[in-house]
Amino acid sequence: MTEAIEYLQFVLAPQMLNGLTIGVAVVLVALGLSIIFGLLDVVNMAHGEFYALGAFVSMSLYGLGVSFWLALVLVPLIVLPIGYLIERGLIQRVYQHDQRHVLTLLLTVGLSIIMEDAFHLIYGPNTMRPENPLPGSTEILGVIVPNYRLFLLAVGAATIVATWLVIYRTRLGAMIRAAAFDKHMTASLGVPVLRVYAGTFAFGVALAGFAGVLLAPIYSVFPTMGHDFVLLAFTAVIVGGIGSFYGAVIAGLLLAQIQAISSLYISPHWSDPLLFAIMVAVLVVRPQGLFNWMGRS
Amino acid sequence: MTGKLKKVGAVLSMLLPMAAGPAAAQSSNPITIGVLTPLSGTYAPIGQQVKWGTELAVNEINAAGGILGRPIRLIYEDEEANPSVATRKAEKLFQSDKVDFLTGVVNSGATIAVGQVAERNDRLMATTVSLSDAITGARCSPNVFRVNAPGGMQALGLAAWIKQNNPKARVFAIGPDYEMGRNTVDGFVKQAKELGLNVVGQVFAPLGEKDYTPYFGQIRQARPDVLYTSTAGNDTVRLFTQLQEYGLRERLTIVGASVAVTAQNIGAIGAAAEGFVTVAGYSPDIDTPENKKFVADFRKAYNADPDLYGADSYGLIYLYKAAVEKAGTTETAKLRKTLEGFTWQTPQGPKSIRAGDHQAIMTVYVLEVRNGRFTIKEKIDGQTAIGPDTCERF
Amino acid sequence: MRPANPAVSAAAPARARRRLGVRHLAVAFPVLSLVFAGIGAALGETFYLRLATEALILAGLAISVDILLGYTGLLSLGQALYFGLGAYTAAFLLGQGAVGFWGALLASLALATPVALLAGLVAIRSKGVYFILITFGLAQVAAKAVYNTRELGGSDGLVGVPVLQADFGLFRVDLGSPVAFFLLMLALIMGLYAGLNYLMHTPFGRTLVAIRSNEHRVRFLGFDPWRYKLAAYVVAANVAALCGALYPMLRGFVSPELLYFKMSADAVITVILGGVGTLIGPIYGSVALVGLRTVLGSWTEHYHMIIGALFMLAVIFMPRGFAGLFDRSEGDPAQDEGEGT
Repeated sequence: MTEAIEYLQFVLAPQMLNGLTIGVAVVLVALGLSIIFGLLDVVNMAHGEFYALGAFVSMSLYGLGVSFWLALVLVPLIVLPIGYLIERGLIQRVYQHDQRHVLTLLLTVGLSIIMEDAFHLIYGPNTMRPENPLPGSTEILGVIVPNYRLFLLAVGAATIVATWLVIYRTRLGAMIRAAAFDKHMTASLGVPVLRVYAGTFAFGVALAGFAGVLLAPIYSVFPTMGHDFVLLAFTAVIVGGIGSFYGAVIAGLLLAQIQAISSLYISPHWSDPLLFAIMVAVLVVRPQGLFNWMGRS
Repeated sequence: MTGKLKKVGAVLSMLLPMAAGPAAAQSSNPITIGVLTPLSGTYAPIGQQVKWGTELAVNEINAAGGILGRPIRLIYEDEEANPSVATRKAEKLFQSDKVDFLTGVVNSGATIAVGQVAERNDRLMATTVSLSDAITGARCSPNVFRVNAPGGMQALGLAAWIKQNNPKARVFAIGPDYEMGRNTVDGFVKQAKELGLNVVGQVFAPLGEKDYTPYFGQIRQARPDVLYTSTAGNDTVRLFTQLQEYGLRERLTIVGASVAVTAQNIGAIGAAAEGFVTVAGYSPDIDTPENKKFVADFRKAYNADPDLYGADSYGLIYLYKAAVEKAGTTETAKLRKTLEGFTWQTPQGPKSIRAGDHQAIMTVYVLEVRNGRFTIKEKIDGQTAIGPDTCERF
Repeated sequence: MRPANPAVSAAAPARARRRLGVRHLAVAFPVLSLVFAGIGAALGETFYLRLATEALILAGLAISVDILLGYTGLLSLGQALYFGLGAYTAAFLLGQGAVGFWGALLASLALATPVALLAGLVAIRSKGVYFILITFGLAQVAAKAVYNTRELGGSDGLVGVPVLQADFGLFRVDLGSPVAFFLLMLALIMGLYAGLNYLMHTPFGRTLVAIRSNEHRVRFLGFDPWRYKLAAYVVAANVAALCGALYPMLRGFVSPELLYFKMSADAVITVILGGVGTLIGPIYGSVALVGLRTVLGSWTEHYHMIIGALFMLAVIFMPRGFAGLFDRSEGDPAQDEGEGT
């Protein structure tokens, strides 16, 4: 009996809690991806590199003496115009093409190659890590949880709610959704559709940059860090249903939980094929995504 | 029509430099050494040390009159830690640049593949970094030499150190889930069990794992005193800092392969690296006049401390010099014969090449991280650390 | 950059002119290559001949991507899966001494076909972006599996593939000779080009192009687009596997990196720079890119950035690539049989 409690306390409960914090990290990366994917119909293969960009910019800011809390606010504001310019300068150029899916994807592949090499050129190849701004841990029902992970859960939840508010409760969000639904109709109503597109892209990558600052103290900073979450985030977006806000959130949390539990009971190196198999199964059985019925409004 | 001719011309001019390249004749008579090492990507910091160590030795030798009166010329190529890129570049170095010798390869798979290229081009090469035991074991090659301490050598030293310091320790092993990681963990666990240590568990995490917390449950349940790890680079940074985050770091003595904590990632690991114990072939603290001079020169030239990669690469060039001078030639067969069983001096002390598998026999050190630096705890004699010769090809 | 919408009535003469321009490229390539081989042989050159041979092998992978992207409109970001499959099959069997030159090629095709059928069944079902992501994920998972399989050498890969003699009945080709291997590879890739070019102008190929242009219309005409796409996918996989099988014969080893995303992405870059939907463009693209990488790579380790920038510029300003320069029709290459959607 004590053994069972011990197992629950030392193994299963922490495992699920860790799965939850990883899930929040995945959702933070997946949100921006989902918005760009769902509203602009652009598969942003450079999304991971924008996540890295956020982390690198934060390292530069710390170098200038900026605190973590200020960086958390500043970095998205710095990434935002970069994303806007990239969308207007590069990606928007191929929107008219009949193969826009392929071309936008290829452009972002090129962008990811350039960005990764640029990080390497500017910051060098060595791993960097900012100090943990909230060291120490708290015991909750006998389970030890680091303070920073609690903070991550809180900020993650707040970010998800804030993003939802922006998209579903503001004028900007209404314009974005309108432009995604019917471009021509929206344009004829006087909405500057191209600028809305660029703004949406910028918003999506700024979210990725924000995730970069937030996760850097746990996951450290190095040029190839962009590869880390992208496959998982893509899987979350697909399983959740493209363009579905709730879908991405639920799928992100669920997939991270599946990964955490499966790495306990099955060998950890099977967790990637398992997630991929889930993605393929969803695509075959329900291409619109598992949770899409809750999303669109 | 002229437009078409222009286009044909453009195509020709694209192809021509390829054809014209090798025509450029070698002017004087330098000895050329190809340095095929990662200059970009994750392993670039290791390549940096390889480059510095090699370059420092070559500059010294050239200033002193070269080898047999011939200066050494280095040709760099980026290995990209990718075997297919490495073999392509190795062929360039051997066939186009006609290098006499090749060094610098880091990725173990690349070392094995490039070794085969060296064989087919009848040239010799050495690695100063690759850890895989297979390089001088199951997949040894008569044309490949290794002057660094391989994974097996380190496992032996570490297990012995734990036995000596805490014979009742509960030991847990974690490694990256791929060939090298499995080999190092298996090697360590085998050694530890042979010495009668209590191994309470082992786990393999995927290479590039971002979050190690899913394994902490198992670790906690096993209640180990000592954690062995063979993770490398960013993986170690995450493992250590996450252990610290969860308050597990201070309860554990962490030991591991020399790739786990290096000059490249120790800064990012920070305080969590304190007390880490490894076995490696070099520390800047080695207290000999030769090493003090080497460290001073290295710092002067590159404004950084040499690490084991820099030191092993530096020593290799002096091995090449001494062997060529003794053989009186750079010719492959004669030089190979000379190298087998050859002993030479390095800042790490004397090393010698074992004839049976081309592995260098060298003193290794038990090192502990103190104040962000590797300090020497103990010295292990080369003969006890090297283990049996398992190469069957020559 | 130009609107991809030729008037249907103008399509036929435009197509004739285009094929004339592209045909010049197809004739020029072997001629230039033979000149190159002649110079190389005269100078006793080894490295550049073998490098060019590798470029031709990689051209096969690029052609495989082009069959899907240029003719069927399917972008595969995981074509290296089949290249690696062919390479590992050949390396494994040759390393055991179980087969010779022909046996290795046949075995890799025999394995690639069922794998492609199975993967295709799943991937083709999902359109557009989903197809791309499935091919991407499939190759990632396969690469990881190979990386973790000890029998396949794990992360170290397999070495020790012997230097072969290819027996052609009347004569034998010594693959240890750089000139001979280059000429063999040239003959093979031009043969592949000719065969595929023919295939794309049969009713089968025309149906593919029609699917790319307007899948619904094809369905209304009573064809099952799904079957055609699957067939194209299997053909493309076999082309990749065939060329993959030649890789270990040239380099003597295989490693998991052959299945990585970088391989697949490089093939796509090659197709875009060379000219999508032309089959000959990717061959030029492969030679140019391999050459460029070698030259730039010796000069700076940050050449990825340069190639990435070139690639983006090509996507924006020259989506029809190098071969597109020779194409004097106004339309998108493989698309002149129908209108854009």
